[in-house]
Amino acid sequence: MDKTKATLKRRLRQSLAGIAPGLLLATALSGCATAPPKTDAADYQAYQQLNDPIEPTNRFFYKVNDGLDTYFMKPVAKGYVDITTQGIRNHVGNFVTNIGEPARFVNFMFEGMPKDTGTALVRFLVNSTIGIGGIFDPATSFGYKETDTDFGLTLAIWGMPPGPYLYLPGFGPSGVRDVLNIPVEYFATPMELAPESAALNDFGYAEAGLHLINTRANFLGPIDQVKATALDPYATFRSLYRQSRASAIQQIYLSNGQTPPAWVQPQP
Amino acid sequence: MYLRRFILGAAAAAPMLVALAGAARADVISSDDAKTFITQSGKQLVDIVNNSSGTQKGTALRQLVNQIVAVDQVGDYVLGRYVNVATPQQHQDFQTLFHQLLSYNITYQINAYQGVSFTVNSATPQGNDMLVDTTITAPGKAPADVGWAVDNVGGQPKITDVIVAGTSLRITTRNDYASVIADNGGQVSALLAAMQKQITRLSAAQ
Repeated sequence: MDKTKATLKRRLRQSLAGIAPGLLLATALSGCATAPPKTDAADYQAYQQLNDPIEPTNRFFYKVNDGLDTYFMKPVAKGYVDITTQGIRNHVGNFVTNIGEPARFVNFMFEGMPKDTGTALVRFLVNSTIGIGGIFDPATSFGYKETDTDFGLTLAIWGMPPGPYLYLPGFGPSGVRDVLNIPVEYFATPMELAPESAALNDFGYAEAGLHLINTRANFLGPIDQVKATALDPYATFRSLYRQSRASAIQQIYLSNGQTPPAWVQPQP
Repeated sequence: MYLRRFILGAAAAAPMLVALAGAARADVISSDDAKTFITQSGKQLVDIVNNSSGTQKGTALRQLVNQIVAVDQVGDYVLGRYVNVATPQQHQDFQTLFHQLLSYNITYQINAYQGVSFTVNSATPQGNDMLVDTTITAPGKAPADVGWAVDNVGGQPKITDVIVAGTSLRITTRNDYASVIADNGGQVSALLAAMQKQITRLSAAQ
């Protein structure tokens, strides 16, 4: 039984790792936005700055995700909010954040950010012990505030540009650089170091599901507001995604005690 | 010869440049003034949100927004390069619609924050503005860190941007509006029509 589950998990991983290049190929083939002529300098410059060459395909996947969200994720998240308090949701958020801390530790090392690396290590050690497995976050009150990172941001700090915008089915807003984070994220968890077992697999699925629902619940208000107030929600989410990524890079430099380079400032 | 003229010219211009720089610095709001302004504006906002209801709340919020936000300046920033594309009439119509839409949007968003309270934390310069960091708390919601960019507009402190989780409201709105115009062949009239439609929808919902 365990062997079957282990095989299933391996196949799942393989298929997930294969999604990113497959998606890139499918999206590249299925629809491209028409670039304005180079003679129209202002329009052409704006098009280049937008960097969304497969916008029609991205918009299609945005509609697919929006449908899935409206009829599945949002009702589930609302139900979750009804049966939990803000305190419980904060503890779930703390627990999920703590599980991601080792991956942040490794990414900060690759980014060459010694202070951030130390902070991630201290946070994991303190919150896993005093914080009872990460349910509480005493590290923040000790002065070790969380700074987020992932492999996409590591690539950014190595100098890789974000590349064209991608809206992925299921995963949502991304880009050619950030999509590489998906397979890395899947493997970069402390559970990978533990021996294979049915209980560990079940824990992994439960944690992933809870993470998804808790995150969606935290964004119930903001997502509703964007949909209600934006003239073009797709363009608004694209802008918010890019700005938040630029801000995350800036935050990594600031928390490490360095001046952020000029290129990470969000552009209008 | 040219070098000597350049050096002499630079020496003559230096006092003028220093005077201009001094004038420019005088325009930048101090951190204390910006914090005081945000504290007072926030109190007014909290008072309206927690103590009024229905149409009275909507009207009071719209008046306050026009009083504390540099709506015309933000509007021009949001319209971006299309300021030069729009006709004078379209520009005027845009400003009118933008005033209304901003107020409706704020009213829509603030409705979810009954029982709101806020604390002013610190103020740091950001470009020409002073960014005032606040923490907003409301029952049943996680505390939110919100930054308010304040600038001197016409001798008065005014809000020019709102920053939440590293995202700027005016940049986001600028990208939103530019997308509508670009998707309609660069026509500013399409943006005006979309704004009007949105105002009708939001006013019906309120």
